[in-house]
Amino acid sequence: MGDEQQTAQSEGGIKRSSRTRTRKKKKNQIPLGIIALLFVVAVGIILAMTVGGNVALFWMLGSSFGFILQRSRFCFTASMRDPYLTGSTSLTKAVLIAFAVTTVGFAAIKYGAFIKGLPIPGQSYVVPISLATAVGSFMFGIGMVIAGGCASGTLMRVGEGFGMQMLSLFFFIVGSLLGAAHFGWWKLNFIVRGPKVFLPDVFGWVGAVVLQLLIIALLWIAADKWAKRKSSSSDH
Amino acid sequence: MSKEVELDCLGEACPVPLIKAEKALEGMDVGDVLICQIDHSCAMKNVPEWAREQGHNVEVEEVDDGEWEVIIEKVK
Amino acid sequence: MKIFDKIKTDPYYKVWLKDAWPYVTGAILLSVFQIVSLASAGTPWGVSGTLADWGAWLYQLVGGSVDKWYYFASDAAQAKLAAGPLKDPGTFRNLGLIAGALFAALIASGFKFKKIKTWRQVAAAVLGGLLMGYGARIAFGCNIGALFSGIASMSLSGWVYAVFLFLGAIVGSKLLVKYFM
Repeated sequence: MGDEQQTAQSEGGIKRSSRTRTRKKKKNQIPLGIIALLFVVAVGIILAMTVGGNVALFWMLGSSFGFILQRSRFCFTASMRDPYLTGSTSLTKAVLIAFAVTTVGFAAIKYGAFIKGLPIPGQSYVVPISLATAVGSFMFGIGMVIAGGCASGTLMRVGEGFGMQMLSLFFFIVGSLLGAAHFGWWKLNFIVRGPKVFLPDVFGWVGAVVLQLLIIALLWIAADKWAKRKSSSSDH
Repeated sequence: MSKEVELDCLGEACPVPLIKAEKALEGMDVGDVLICQIDHSCAMKNVPEWAREQGHNVEVEEVDDGEWEVIIEKVK
Repeated sequence: MKIFDKIKTDPYYKVWLKDAWPYVTGAILLSVFQIVSLASAGTPWGVSGTLADWGAWLYQLVGGSVDKWYYFASDAAQAKLAAGPLKDPGTFRNLGLIAGALFAALIASGFKFKKIKTWRQVAAAVLGGLLMGYGARIAFGCNIGALFSGIASMSLSGWVYAVFLFLGAIVGSKLLVKYFM
């Protein structure tokens, strides 16, 4: 069963005794990939023609996010977990960059609507701050690290074939339903007293954007320094 | 003769392959080679990245669809 | 077929479709599509809200009803539930995510079904999933809707979420190493 011991070199030059364990002949999944692409496009077209353009748009956006997440191995969980667990902040810094770029784009769109006297899009994402925010995000933080993936990460890994995340997704849904069932209690006791704070209301449009970008920049520097400190302190 | 250690991380959830690799490397001598079997797309990126940051020689070989070997030579 | 083997060695295929992209590339592209979403759909990206709706529809399938729940009381929520998942944009955004990731894995010849290995993983998936689902509802969202979109929308709630998310991740890491590895 092919357990030959021979000194070999991997392509770059690290010497190893290549125990050629029965390597399966690598299948080429590119044809399947092309079928998957055709499927995605076809669903989009069918949705546009049957349910409507908006649903087709959401399908396109979702597919794009999924593709980008997988291609770049992007992981919000790791961005929050690795600084503590492994001392790495490469994803933390990348997430901060995403915050910065979207801040600029979102501010532009919102300001454009504002000065035209139009309703500002996306304001439903400005939500009350209360104990529920703290408790909920704390719970989410624990859960995402244990489960090996956050919300987007879980969906991405379902697409990659991870059985564990398929299970996690099911219980995410169950937990969501429980949360929805209790939401009224949280709302009455905490959320209703919580302020919604839209930073441009406090600091003006320019002030809010500049302040937020400044904070992101400072956090980026902190993350950068943290990783350097961590890697130099583990010199043996 | 430098030692070769094989680490089976197949089926592990992130960040377990990285933590296991870290622990394994700690107990190895300079010049030893650690071979991690990985089938997690995040790990095939973050394990080499971490190892390179630590100064080791790293290579990644694709073994099968969705399976990689991360080969780390302990340098210091 | 030979053409597919030829593609495998093509340098553009390698950079665009095969090798992993840098994290920063991902960050910028995700941001681009967030902005595209706000501009075209009028709303930023979200994931977990739809999962609660999926829960409601599943619950209805097994005979339950959420009609008296405060969370689903609004006219908009009632209309969405009544219309069903096949008319729900959020459903297709989440399903699209799965499809997009699947496509990415296949086109790079990197798809593999990974079975659950241990009972610890089962426990981790169950506990982690429940915590995420519950936490996301009471905090108005997940790492995408509450954190990413919240901060992008210049809502202070996003920053508060970030702080406690980070603290939770530290606790989660300790638990992971101690009980779930």
